[in-house]
Amino acid sequence: MADRRDLIGHAYTPYTFPVEHGKVREFALAVKDDDPVYRDVGVARSVGYRHLPMPPTFSAVTSHWAVRDEDVLRLDLRRVLAGGAEWEYLGDVVAGDVLTVRAHIADVQEKTGSRGPMTLLITEYDFVNQHEETVMRVRSTVIEMGEQ
Amino acid sequence: MTESDTVPFGLVVDAPDHRVGPLTRTDFVRYAGAGGDFNPIHHDETFARAAGYPSVFGHGLLTAGILGGYAASWLGRRNLRRFTVRYMGQVWPGDTLVLSGEVLRTRTGPDGVTEVEVGLAVHSEAEAGEPRLVLRGGATAVYPSSDEAVHPSQPEGGRS
Repeated sequence: MADRRDLIGHAYTPYTFPVEHGKVREFALAVKDDDPVYRDVGVARSVGYRHLPMPPTFSAVTSHWAVRDEDVLRLDLRRVLAGGAEWEYLGDVVAGDVLTVRAHIADVQEKTGSRGPMTLLITEYDFVNQHEETVMRVRSTVIEMGEQ
Repeated sequence: MTESDTVPFGLVVDAPDHRVGPLTRTDFVRYAGAGGDFNPIHHDETFARAAGYPSVFGHGLLTAGILGGYAASWLGRRNLRRFTVRYMGQVWPGDTLVLSGEVLRTRTGPDGVTEVEVGLAVHSEAEAGEPRLVLRGGATAVYPSSDEAVHPSQPEGGRS
């Protein structure tokens, strides 16, 4: 397995994506969340939002917008497992906002577990809105198991 | 901040369990489209078997997303400051998820703001099988000093 520790600190090209209310609705449906706050602007406003808020793990949709030709990790998808993730909410994100995503590889760890060698790849994402406010931080861990 | 025994008005200490499922391959495909993760291991049976799995399995972020809705419904979406998940096992087609949560500690700051830390878990139940822990999580929610601004509620059984 290639040692990818030299990728620590690698910064991806920042990209921008609009928070669309159809996407908020679609995502809420996909995670089986029937809270009307994700489809009814009146309900959203009644609890203090400017528009439909994003569901808690909505950051996942950014994979539709990330720059595609920048696969520095070269993961073997047959051996990849999701490890975990952490979301930090620093401000509201609602439909109509435009977010800029700045991501970098925060850590690469080689480990040996009960199922043999594995590589932990940790990526951090900062989400900055159109008012230059950092509204969310996400830290995500992907595991690539060693070749059998 | 100081430790306190009280939870903010209206917040239940042990969230009622909530069941979601059984999940289907269609649920995985719908999540792939919504989230944008098209790793074939989640929808292509041939690919999944070649990789050594008995079938396709759900995205970790699908389980995390379902749990996020449960946490937001229990704690109040606007109060949520942090949400974490660690995946412990796969979710297979036909599994039913059982979501649970409990308040671990509550702290009150000098400004009257109450911070609540909760533990979360997702177990997966297969037909005629024992429940397996598939995700362990946590969340932190913050409540202003004025109870009128707090809108926590019990997770409802209405989400299917």
